[in-house]
Amino acid sequence: MKRKKINVDRVFNTFNGLIMAIVLIVTLYPFLNVLAVSLNESLDTVKGGITIFPRKFTTENYKVIFTYQNLLNAFFISVLRTVVGTVAGLIASSMVAYTLSRSDFQARKFFSTFLVLTLYVSGGLIPGFLLMRDLHLINSFWVYILPAIVNAFYIFMIRTYMEGLPFELQESAFIDGASDITVFIKIILPLSTPVLATIALFIAVGQWNSWFDTYLYNGSNDLLSTLQFELMKILQSTQTGSDMARNNNVLEQMTTVTPDSIKMAITIVTVVPIIMVYPFLQKYFVKGMTIGAVKS
Amino acid sequence: MLKNKKIVLVFGLVIFISLPIFSNSNKEKASETSDKVTTFTAFFADPNSSWNGMQDDVGKFLTEKTGVTLNVEMAVGDPAQKINLIAASGVYPDLISPKGDNGALIESGALIDLTDLIDKHAPNIKAVLGDQIKRLRHSYEDQSIYFIPTLDAINQYYYKVGGPFNLQLDVVEKLGYPEIRTLEDYEAAIKAYVEKYPTIDGQKTIGLSLLADDWRIMISTTNPAFFATGAPDDGEFTIDPKTFDAMLHYKRPAEREYFRWLNHMNDIGLLDKESFVQKYDQYLAKIAAGKVLAVIDQDWEIGQAVNSLKSEGKFNRTYGKFPVTLDESYKIPVFQQAGFNGGWGIAITKSCKDPVKAIKFLDYLASEEGQILVNWGIEGKHYNYNEKGERIIPADVLDMKINDNNKFKKETGVGNYLLSLRYGDGNKDSTGNYYTTNYPEQILSDYSDFEKKVLKNYNATFWKDLFPKEDEFPVKPWGAAWNIPIPNDSPITVFQQKEQDIIRQLIPEAIMATPAEFDGIYDKMLAQLEAIDSTKIEKEYTSYVKKRIKLWTE
Repeated sequence: MKRKKINVDRVFNTFNGLIMAIVLIVTLYPFLNVLAVSLNESLDTVKGGITIFPRKFTTENYKVIFTYQNLLNAFFISVLRTVVGTVAGLIASSMVAYTLSRSDFQARKFFSTFLVLTLYVSGGLIPGFLLMRDLHLINSFWVYILPAIVNAFYIFMIRTYMEGLPFELQESAFIDGASDITVFIKIILPLSTPVLATIALFIAVGQWNSWFDTYLYNGSNDLLSTLQFELMKILQSTQTGSDMARNNNVLEQMTTVTPDSIKMAITIVTVVPIIMVYPFLQKYFVKGMTIGAVKS
Repeated sequence: MLKNKKIVLVFGLVIFISLPIFSNSNKEKASETSDKVTTFTAFFADPNSSWNGMQDDVGKFLTEKTGVTLNVEMAVGDPAQKINLIAASGVYPDLISPKGDNGALIESGALIDLTDLIDKHAPNIKAVLGDQIKRLRHSYEDQSIYFIPTLDAINQYYYKVGGPFNLQLDVVEKLGYPEIRTLEDYEAAIKAYVEKYPTIDGQKTIGLSLLADDWRIMISTTNPAFFATGAPDDGEFTIDPKTFDAMLHYKRPAEREYFRWLNHMNDIGLLDKESFVQKYDQYLAKIAAGKVLAVIDQDWEIGQAVNSLKSEGKFNRTYGKFPVTLDESYKIPVFQQAGFNGGWGIAITKSCKDPVKAIKFLDYLASEEGQILVNWGIEGKHYNYNEKGERIIPADVLDMKINDNNKFKKETGVGNYLLSLRYGDGNKDSTGNYYTTNYPEQILSDYSDFEKKVLKNYNATFWKDLFPKEDEFPVKPWGAAWNIPIPNDSPITVFQQKEQDIIRQLIPEAIMATPAEFDGIYDKMLAQLEAIDSTKIEKEYTSYVKKRIKLWTE
C-alpha cells in the first residue's frame, strides 16, 4: 500500500515536471530564437537554420537601430507615459470600482450597465479623432493618458475583487468614525494590492506597447514621439528601403542588414525594458491577507 | 511615512518633467510666424528614416533659396488609415503625398486643382513635362491636375535587368557559355549541369525553384508567362496594342505553352518539388546556399539571398540574366517603355497657407539647378567639376555614400528631396552631365570579376546588352495598365480577388500534374474564370484603358 502511494507521487511529479519543461521550452524558444537572430549577421540569417545560438555574432543590427535620432527622447516619453498612465489609471479605475462595489450606491446598476456598453460599442477611429481634436488633446502629452484613463474591463476586475473583501472590515471602520475616503485609502486599497498589481501590469504593458495613438494624434511632433512609434518607423523604412529596389532607379541597395534582422532586434529592444518590471510587481501577487481578519 | 515621502517625490518629479510638454504647442506657433520662412506641414505615405527635418546640407540650402521649410509627418503601417482620417476630419496638412490612397482625398475635395498654378507659377515643371502634362490629368470625367508626380521620373532609362530568367553563372561557365535564348536552351543548360554536378557543396542540386508564397506567386510564377511570350507587364490583364482590348493574360494561347513547359520541368524532375509550398524565407535560404541553378524571379525579390552569396565570396553562384522566351519568334519585352505614367505624387491641399509659395517651391525642385541639388548635393561640398567639365563626387563623400548610406543621406540630404518632377536616369543636363547619379559606368563597379568574365564571353559589357532594346518596341500609349485608377466600387476590384483565388490554386495544380492531365486542368481554370464573368470584366477594363488613352492624347 505504502509503496504504491509513493509511486503515484513520483509518476505525478515526473509528468508534471515533464509537462512544465515542455511548456517552458515552447514559450521560451521563440524568444531565444528572436534573440539569436537579432545577434546574428543579417546575410547569414538569410541562409536559415538559426535556432537559439547566433551563428555569426554581430551587434550590427542593434547599431543600425541606435543610430536613429530621437530614440532617447522617445524612450523618455514612453517611460513617462507608462508611469503617469499607470498611476493615473490605477487611481481612477480603483475609485470607480470602489464606488460600484458598495451596495448602498443607488445608481450602481445604471453605471454598471453603462460601463458594460463601452466594452461592446466603440466610437470608431474617425469620430474618436474628431473628439480628440475638439477636446484640444491633439499635439499634447495628455492624449496618451486621459482618453483611456478608465477602462471598464479593469474596473470590473477590481470591483469583483473588492466585493470579495469582507464588508465587516469597512463596517467596523465606519463605526470608529472613518469617512468613505479614509476607508478607501486605509482599508480597501492596501487589501487590494494583488488585483491592483495585476491591473498595473496590464496598463503598463498596454501603455508601453502602444504606438498607434502617437501616430494618430502626435505623429508630426517629434518631442512627443514614443519609443514604439520610432521603432515602428525604423521597421517600416527598412522594409520600404528594400522594396525601393523594385523601382529599379534605386541602385544602392542595403547590403549589410535585412528587414527581418532589424525586426528581431526591435522586438528585443521593445520587450526587455517592460520585462524588467515584472520582478518588482511579483511581491504584490500575494493573496490571503484578509484570511482571519474577521471573526464571526 | 518614508514610503509616502517617496511617492510624493515621484509625483513631484513627474509633474516637473511633464510641464515642458505642456508648453510645446506655444513654441511651435512662434517659429511659424518668424520672418520670411514659411513652414509647410506635409504628410508622406512613404516613410523615409533619413529625413532630418530639413536640417541637412541640402535642406538648409533649400530653405535659404526658397524660404520654405517642411514639417513632415510620415505614414507608419497602412498609410490608407491615416489618409482617410485626414480626409474625413478635414484637418489637412499643407502638402500631401498619398501615393495610391488618394481616392478619399479627391472625393472629399481636399486637394486643389493645380492647372492654373502650374500655368502661372511653375515654368520649370511645364518645361520638364512638355506635352506629357496631359498625363497628369486625374481622369476623363475630372480633368483637374491634383498631383505633381514624384514617384516616376521622366524619361527614365533603365540600365539594370530586373529579371525574370536567372541562371547561375557557374552553369554557363562550366558548359562553355552556350546561347541561352529560348526555354529549350534554358532547360538544356540546367539539365546538363544537374547531370554533371548532382550535388553542390554536399547538398542536392536543385534545377529550378519557383516561389508561390501569397502575392509573390505573381512575380515568380505567373508574370514570367507574359514576359516569355512577348507581352509587356500590364498586371493581370494584357492589352492588345492595336485594339486596346484587355484580356486576362492567362487566356493567351502562348501562355498555356509556357505553363506546359513548367509542367514538363516538373515531369522530368528539374523543378523543385517544394516550389508551391515553400515560404519566402525558405526559398531565400535555398538560394543563399548556392544550390539553386535557375530562379525565375525579379532582382529585388532574391536580392537578400544574392547579397548573402556575395558576402561569402561565392560569386560563381550568383545569377546572370538571359532574354529567355518560349521560342525565337518572341522578344522579351522587359525594356518596353510605358512612357511617363503621371499618377502618384505630391498635392497641395485646400488648407495650404500659401499655395503659390508651395508651387514655387516644387517648381524650384524641378528646375535644372534644383534637380542637380537633390540628386548630387551642393557644389564644392558633395561634388566638383573636373577639368573636363565632368561632375565628380569626391572620394571621401563617395566612400560615405557607399559604406554608410544612411548617415550620408541624413547629413547631406541627398536623395531626401525627390519631392517634385525630375528626369530619370540617363538624361543629361545643360553641362552634359547626367541629372542623376546612376549611370552605366556605375553599374559596372557593382559587377563581380566573375560576372564580368562571363559577360565578356557573351561579347557583352552589361546584362542589358543581351536583351532587346527599348527602340525595338513601340511606347505603350496606355502607360502601365496596372496603375490605371479603378474606382473602389467597380466590379473589377471584387473580380480580381476571385480571379487570384482561382489562379493561385489551379496554376500550381496544373504545373504539378502529369503532362497528360495538364490541358484538362488548364481548361478547368479557364472555365472557372469564365464562370466569374471574366469576359464582362475584360470589357469593363477595356473601357478604362480606352478612357486613359483618350485622356492622354486629346
